Amino acid sequence: MLVWASVGLSACSPTSSGTTTENIRIHWARDPENLDPLRVDNPSSFEVTNLLHCSLLRGNEAMLDIVPWLAESAPVTRLLGDSLQFVTYRLRPEATWDNGSPILAQDVAFTLKVMNAPGLPIERSQATFGFIRDIQLDKQDPRRFTLVCAGQSADRAKISGDFSILPEYALDPQGSLRSVSLPAIGKSGTQPAVQKFVQRYAALDLARHPERLPGCGPYTLKSWQPGRYLTLRRKAHWWADTLPTPPAELQAFPSQLTYQVIPDAATATLALRRGELDVYAMMPATQFSRLQQSASDKEKLRFYTADSYEFLTVNFNVRRPMLRDALTRQALSHLLNVPALIKATQQGVATPSVGLISPRIKAYYHDSLPLLTFSPTQATTLLGRAKWQRQPDGSWQRPGTGNTPERLQLTISYRAGEPSFETVALQFRSAAAALGIPVQLVAAEQSRLSQQLRAGQFDLAIRNLAGNPFSYDFTPLLHSQGIGVGNMTGFSSPLTDQLIEEIVVATDPAQKARLLRKFQLVMAYERPFTVLYFSKYRIAASRRLGELPVTGLMPGYEAHRIQLPTEASLQ
Amino acid sequence: MKQMQRFCQNWHRALALFWLTSVVVAALLATSTVLVPDLLHTASPPFLSPHWLGTDPQGFDVAYALLQGARTILYVSIPAAALTLLLGGALGSAAGYWSNTGLRVARSWWIASGLLVAGCIGLATQLYAAFLVTSGSLLTGCGLIGWLLHQSTWGRRPWAFPIDALIAGLIVLLDSIPLLVLVLVVAAIQQPSAGGLVLLMTLTCWTTPARLMRAATLRTRELAHVEAARAAGLSDWQVLRRHIWPLTWPVVMLRLPLTIALLIGLETTLSFLGVGLPPETPSWGRLLAGIRQSPAAWWLILWPGAALVLTTLSLHQLSRKKQ
Repeated sequence: MLVWASVGLSACSPTSSGTTTENIRIHWARDPENLDPLRVDNPSSFEVTNLLHCSLLRGNEAMLDIVPWLAESAPVTRLLGDSLQFVTYRLRPEATWDNGSPILAQDVAFTLKVMNAPGLPIERSQATFGFIRDIQLDKQDPRRFTLVCAGQSADRAKISGDFSILPEYALDPQGSLRSVSLPAIGKSGTQPAVQKFVQRYAALDLARHPERLPGCGPYTLKSWQPGRYLTLRRKAHWWADTLPTPPAELQAFPSQLTYQVIPDAATATLALRRGELDVYAMMPATQFSRLQQSASDKEKLRFYTADSYEFLTVNFNVRRPMLRDALTRQALSHLLNVPALIKATQQGVATPSVGLISPRIKAYYHDSLPLLTFSPTQATTLLGRAKWQRQPDGSWQRPGTGNTPERLQLTISYRAGEPSFETVALQFRSAAAALGIPVQLVAAEQSRLSQQLRAGQFDLAIRNLAGNPFSYDFTPLLHSQGIGVGNMTGFSSPLTDQLIEEIVVATDPAQKARLLRKFQLVMAYERPFTVLYFSKYRIAASRRLGELPVTGLMPGYEAHRIQLPTEASLQ
Repeated sequence: MKQMQRFCQNWHRALALFWLTSVVVAALLATSTVLVPDLLHTASPPFLSPHWLGTDPQGFDVAYALLQGARTILYVSIPAAALTLLLGGALGSAAGYWSNTGLRVARSWWIASGLLVAGCIGLATQLYAAFLVTSGSLLTGCGLIGWLLHQSTWGRRPWAFPIDALIAGLIVLLDSIPLLVLVLVVAAIQQPSAGGLVLLMTLTCWTTPARLMRAATLRTRELAHVEAARAAGLSDWQVLRRHIWPLTWPVVMLRLPLTIALLIGLETTLSFLGVGLPPETPSWGRLLAGIRQSPAAWWLILWPGAALVLTTLSLHQLSRKKQ
């Protein structure tokens, strides 16, 4: 009866609930889980961090480049020797903290020291910004500073400004870290000043209490109920408000942003139709198309699509003995029917890819590599080459360590509530079962799935990954330094480590293209993960909002630039 | 008029039996191979070749999914119903037969049991980490203490075990929490396997059979022939087996169809909410849940809904006839 009642309720006509025009309610499929700026590791925490804090530079899709944010202008670079470069920034003179004190180069130096302080969760920062070796403050201008970076590529210069600047006045009011230089801090774990700072920082528990860290972004945290909602309030007086014509990066219109965590896509769609949500990004294709065709929904909603740099992957845990060899991973990849999955889950609107570079980036995409084909026959051949033998009962075994034979039986993990992930898992399972490979589906709630991924407790995992067209640093994702941080598959090899390092320091575009193509070739063989397709962002937004600022960068829209419609636009 | 009524009842019963037999036959004949989704025809409407009952949003054929869902009912709901009746019946019999004073246990074993429970609570972490070693040590230690105490006269003196009050308390506790909420909370913590779901349903649904069995046992144990059997020196086990259960089991067996219907509904609801069986296990509830992804796909409501309603009505019909 309950089932029937639920179905009946879900079929009822949506009713609009009372809303305030100043509060923009945005759908999230997952909770940010932690909001410590040092540990940003998922799209939701990335989105909030960019509203609470500012970094020196920020990606701008329209300009296809990194643009100044807290920096006054693009950095000036100067090469030093054959392996270093100086990257000089000047901070905006208008930029201030919430207490009115100016944001100075000293704050940047402090942030870099925090990002290198032993005892803090700095693994991700180290993997991404470990190339920043030192900072030199300008004695004449307190807003000017120079970063000493390893590598001479333009990518390194761009990445060097992509971390949130932290307030020294709030975290270290005594300036205890000023006496420790940046190169020395990594080696100074035993220094009392650093140890005391680390203890103070850890005691703040910023992962759960981000409100204890005042940022220089336009919003502050109003409330956060993990797994339910998170509300940000616009600062009454934000430093960028004084700019006469603020650039897009420094605009912040909504007075309040409320992110509603609704993991289940069908429930989120219902909430949108009932007027309980204003923005729903990454909507499943079938739901999106259905709403587009509904006259009543078209009256209330606007629909947007944008080519994204987000791609769906099936990740192999290479720590598992059965998935350690590339041939097995290749074989299993041939059991994924990508064209049919695109048709079923994306209504045919997605772009298959040979690897993690988007086919839209023609200069770097390896278009000579063949796309993945669905071929159980080829999978069988590859399994044979990987020394797997079919047993009389139809299963697969090969000699394992010692005398114990290794059985090919897998689990495939994915986020519960996401229909496209489930479709991929079920398709893979049926194709594998036809070959005699048992596959068990594990649909887990997002926070539990994240824990399992970090701990390496999975065989195969379906997850979305997002890139951008500005930088090609795969260190967090695929380098040995990123294992346990962003590299969930546990894959690394001397060749790929070397290629990743060469790509980020490549100065010549032709050389960079050559290296990226080689990297794609190697990854197509190694397959720590298989890229299924690059998807489109499908966003449905309430008509009570103005034109939604849509972007191809994660999360597909710019929340801080959402506006209510002007009278002119309504007319 | 009576004949007409009887004819209708027989006719209903025949229909119910026919439907339930069909479900069982369908479940037994259903293919056990993993279904292949037709990704080119997802949420496809019925009456079109080759998917005559349509497909779900994942591209699975609804007809095959219905058949495999019937097998899930056979393998999950019926064993769960049987275990529920067994557990409820056993606890209800014990509560009704011994009441609060009939079951007497030596003090030594009371103390050993208390220590065992306290040890389990105190060493919960160690039990989770190394179950065999810790539980073995606990059992051995408590057993030894119990044996040592049992050597003394004080230890051998019995204390009454208030089994009736304990079971009645458990029934009240379980009944005070809505069944669905209780099962949902447990299932949400850890998605159960098929075996786990059977266990979960058994542990949460035994209260009604237990209450019935307790009442029937209380009534039966006062009968003259039971008193005579006791007076003749038969053991409790013999009295229960030979003189009480033959009279009380039919009461619980009456409950079987209704319990199966209840558990089918519960399993369907859990699968509909996505916290029941693993996603790869076909079930009618999962078919119904497809409507949330494709609200226009009426066939995802009609076919599994009709199967569910007919099965439940048939079970109720059987139960009525038995009464």
